[in-house]
Amino acid sequence: MDKKISVKVCLGTTCFVMGSSNLQELIDTVPKKYGDKVDVMGVPCLGLCSIDWEFSKAPYVKVDDDVIKEATVEKVLKAIDEKLSL
Amino acid sequence: MFIDIDCSQVKKYNQNAFGDYFVSKRFPDESRLVAVLSDGLGSGIKANILSCMTATMLSQFISNEQIPIHKAAEIIMNSLPVCKVRHISYSTFSAIDCYDDGNAKIVEEGNPDFVWIRDGEVMSPQFETIQSKTFKNRKLKVYKLKFKLGDRVIFCSDGVTQSGLGGGRLKLGLRREGLINILKEKLTQEPEISSSELAAYIVHQARNIETDRNPKDDISACVLYFREPREAMVFTGPPYHQQKDSEYAKMFWNFNGKKAISGGTTANLISRELNIPIRMDTTISVGKLPAISFMDGIDLVTEGILTLTKTLEYLESGELDIDNAAGKLVKFLLDSDCIMFMVGAKLNQAHYDPALPIEIEIRKNIIKKIANILQDKYFKKVTVQYM
Repeated sequence: MDKKISVKVCLGTTCFVMGSSNLQELIDTVPKKYGDKVDVMGVPCLGLCSIDWEFSKAPYVKVDDDVIKEATVEKVLKAIDEKLSL
Repeated sequence: MFIDIDCSQVKKYNQNAFGDYFVSKRFPDESRLVAVLSDGLGSGIKANILSCMTATMLSQFISNEQIPIHKAAEIIMNSLPVCKVRHISYSTFSAIDCYDDGNAKIVEEGNPDFVWIRDGEVMSPQFETIQSKTFKNRKLKVYKLKFKLGDRVIFCSDGVTQSGLGGGRLKLGLRREGLINILKEKLTQEPEISSSELAAYIVHQARNIETDRNPKDDISACVLYFREPREAMVFTGPPYHQQKDSEYAKMFWNFNGKKAISGGTTANLISRELNIPIRMDTTISVGKLPAISFMDGIDLVTEGILTLTKTLEYLESGELDIDNAAGKLVKFLLDSDCIMFMVGAKLNQAHYDPALPIEIEIRKNIIKKIANILQDKYFKKVTVQYM
């Protein structure tokens, strides 16, 4: 597979206090694990908390176009693995 | 014109309170500034109380505009009691009431004459003398002046002009001539020096002349500098009506001065409307604040509420040299004279989720607090526009 997988960690206010501050470690660990197959970056805000607020599921991470709700490091890594095995 | 004002002080040796008192108030709506420097008789707590009362009362009288400045000063001059031991009045004062267009009134009673420097030369302005009806030895000097861009005005307590008195090198102290020499020399070296730096420099120099650097009196210097304002705008929060996004984004872009964005959604909005990509700083900031982002043409991009809350905390505590997003925003604000906040009124419902920490404040409230502290503690000219 040629195309890189893009992982976007939301660092907006809601996500940051709900746990994305801990997800920042992905920025370090993912390139070590997957090399240049995956691109991880922080983004100022994915704008999802304001749409999904009634059932607030922050923090959010986007792996390509798939949204991971209540994201954890494990969930994100699992999603990357699934994408890579396709 | 912007009036850059600051005051620097040191206490008399072995005292634990300042005997001089400085108070300054800016009225952005009237483009007006009122400042008073008062020197209380003696030193320590007693002098502190005397000067504080004189300065705050005079500042109140002038600010309220019910009576003109020279009347207010005359009333105070006539009513200040006389010390039983020394037979002189309980405090001396200088006050200035000035406007952004340069029109100013100055009154002085007992303090050393102020120094007015224009193009490197000391001016000798005309003044009117009002003799106290109750006390023969008290005279009020009243000046009506017009300042120009680049002018500097320096007020000081007699602790500056009498520094070094009776010491080795300067038997008669620094005196007015000495102060003028110090000022001229410094202004030739650094013509653009800020008021806070110049005030600190004067006090430092006066202290250096004292024997063993122990001031024999309270030393205060207050500097005013009339200059072009450094303008800045902070855009925070999305506008209430989404159809106005593009209008406000363009207004922000066309603003002539430094620009900052505080808020993730806000940054996305500006990025979308103006077609400027956002790059996020790759620094990881575990448990602290989200890192800053970069956008071409914009000086600073940070997260919103958390960063603003921390910024307010730093401004309140006076911790001004911190390497995180809020520290950068503090520096951005303090490096400007006129700051305009564009505050979006749109609410993010997710911020009201009870699961979120209680520290998540309402944007309008934080901005109001930041605006107040910038105005009152850091003498900035602040305007807030809600959108």
